[in-house]
Amino acid sequence: MTPKFLQTSRRAFLGGSAAAAALSALSEPALAQRNQPTLDQYEPVYLTAAEWAFVMAAVARIIPSDGDGPGAIEARVPVFIDRQLAGDFGAASDLYMEGPFAPEADMNLGTQSPLTPAEIYRQGIAAFDAWCRSEQGAALGDLDPDAQDAALQALADDEVGLKPELREFWTLLLQNTKEGYFADPRHGGNAGMQAWVYIGFPGARANFHEWAGRDEAYPLGPVDIAGERA
Amino acid sequence: MRTLLNIVLGLVVLGGVALLAFIAVPVQPTPPQQQVAADWQPEEGQGEYAMRLADCAACHTAPGGERFAGGRAIESPLGTIYSSNITPDDETGIGGWSLEDFRAALYDGMRPDGTHLYPAMPYENYRKLTEEDVRALYHYFIEEVEPVQNAAPEADLPFPFDQRWTLRGWKWLALDEPGFRADTDDPVLARGEYIVEGPGHCSACHTPRNAIMAEAAVDTSDEAFLSGGEIAGWTAPALRGPGSAIAGWSQEDLVAIFSTGRNAHAAVNGEMQLVIQDSTQYMSEEDLAAMSAYLVGLNEGVLLERSEDVTETEALIASADPDMPLGARLYIDNCNACHFANGRGADEVFPELDGNSLVTAESPTGLISMILGGSELPSTPKRPYSLRMPGFSDRLTDEEVAELASFVRQGWSNDAAVVSADDVADLRGEAEAKVE
Repeated sequence: MTPKFLQTSRRAFLGGSAAAAALSALSEPALAQRNQPTLDQYEPVYLTAAEWAFVMAAVARIIPSDGDGPGAIEARVPVFIDRQLAGDFGAASDLYMEGPFAPEADMNLGTQSPLTPAEIYRQGIAAFDAWCRSEQGAALGDLDPDAQDAALQALADDEVGLKPELREFWTLLLQNTKEGYFADPRHGGNAGMQAWVYIGFPGARANFHEWAGRDEAYPLGPVDIAGERA
Repeated sequence: MRTLLNIVLGLVVLGGVALLAFIAVPVQPTPPQQQVAADWQPEEGQGEYAMRLADCAACHTAPGGERFAGGRAIESPLGTIYSSNITPDDETGIGGWSLEDFRAALYDGMRPDGTHLYPAMPYENYRKLTEEDVRALYHYFIEEVEPVQNAAPEADLPFPFDQRWTLRGWKWLALDEPGFRADTDDPVLARGEYIVEGPGHCSACHTPRNAIMAEAAVDTSDEAFLSGGEIAGWTAPALRGPGSAIAGWSQEDLVAIFSTGRNAHAAVNGEMQLVIQDSTQYMSEEDLAAMSAYLVGLNEGVLLERSEDVTETEALIASADPDMPLGARLYIDNCNACHFANGRGADEVFPELDGNSLVTAESPTGLISMILGGSELPSTPKRPYSLRMPGFSDRLTDEEVAELASFVRQGWSNDAAVVSADDVADLRGEAEAKVE
């Protein structure tokens, strides 16, 4: 269950995008996105080397690369997560973060952790990798895929003994992986709009009502907020 | 020989005397155009209303500056002129001006010390103000406005245009008879005509300039009047005749655009946004109706060229054919969401591009600026939301803007010349220089 108020609302997302568009003078030219460093050259802004290795391994199991479409690695989801954690999302800028906190309260009462999402990742990765080492003999990144799946399943089932303050760790990781896969490329993920091409989403074109209700595929590929076409 | 010399010398002296007289002998100010009792006082709010009709605020307030304290830079083809401080400050404003001084500024473009005002001040039009409006304005600016000390910068014009005394000759050529004479017997239409010709000074932008840069016409009877002009590089569209931007508009359409900046066809852009913001939205229902009725009358018999059938342009956009030309593709990717395949947009929200005067203007400056920088409608009590079109300067290259602008200029029933990437590069450079 994803805590509702950790989710980026569509309204806030669109508002933020519009504001970002308005600040065009400050934004990088859209064309610069084409010359991105490869993932192994990427220098994380927030994540440490060990945390980066964890995120690379975890998202590769959540959306694997051996299916029909692009995996989370091809879509550069780890970059998205690193940039989100380094920014307002990681710092919980939009969340009410004053006490009282009751981390052990019923999940139905929503997020109760005094930790920001960035802190939840930091402490969550450390605790979970420690659990992997003691149960499987290595950090998640060093396990084979089957063992990784088993470990992540245990994390999802809340069977790895995380303290209550970290209980949102798995839902955040899953949610942010999906977001990085499908969000506009300006946020670092969905590289080349691959995820949109895969599901046939036309992107930031915003209107194709001439095609609504027609029993045939929409012929145009997607366009992103920067105006790139794929 | 001696005689000839004497004659030449005599002529030189005579010319010199005439020139000195031209410079030094005071201009006789235009007298009041109607008799108004000496003890006449404007009704509560009448002065402020007259100020709204004449839209003094738009020019005499600098961006971010105190109201009416002047200093707004007005770009003229000859150089930059700065609006003056019209608060009643004794030192830097119009404090201590008599009614006669004030009237001379409105009618004759004169300051009390005899300095000629540049015709950026629309005294060509204000000459038509009634004496009651002059008195109401005088009362407002002397009695109701708070004095603000702010010396406006000197105009920055090259020689010989910095020689203000030469304006006396210009005025002699340019200025029409003072006072307003209606072109109609209908009192409502006459009221509309008065607002448009006089205080509204619509003609200052919407009428072409003649060889001496005066308005080519200042009253309705002349077909050049309101036949389209230019302001700060943007086209102020024709409001009558074959290319009229408001052909086919109803009185309600016009009332809507004046009171809210938007209607079923269009959204105001460029300098006209200031007119809505500072002037027309404050006009009474009666005056809006009168002005609109007058403008509808000006356009009687002007036919719309727009076709009601599905155009080739609409069919092309709706096809979503991946092989379509770049201009059409850019329209789909950037514009279609709001302005739609038929180029008709949505009433009061997204302006029509088919037949839009900004899109089809002879000069593409306004359209390119709009695509690069976007626009925001003023907020009015009737339509408080400042609808905004985003700028696309970060999304589109110069070549792409040129392709897109050319596409909309030739799409649907539009038939305007194509735009080059160089046109776009120039304007992008100017826009970026302004930001810095």
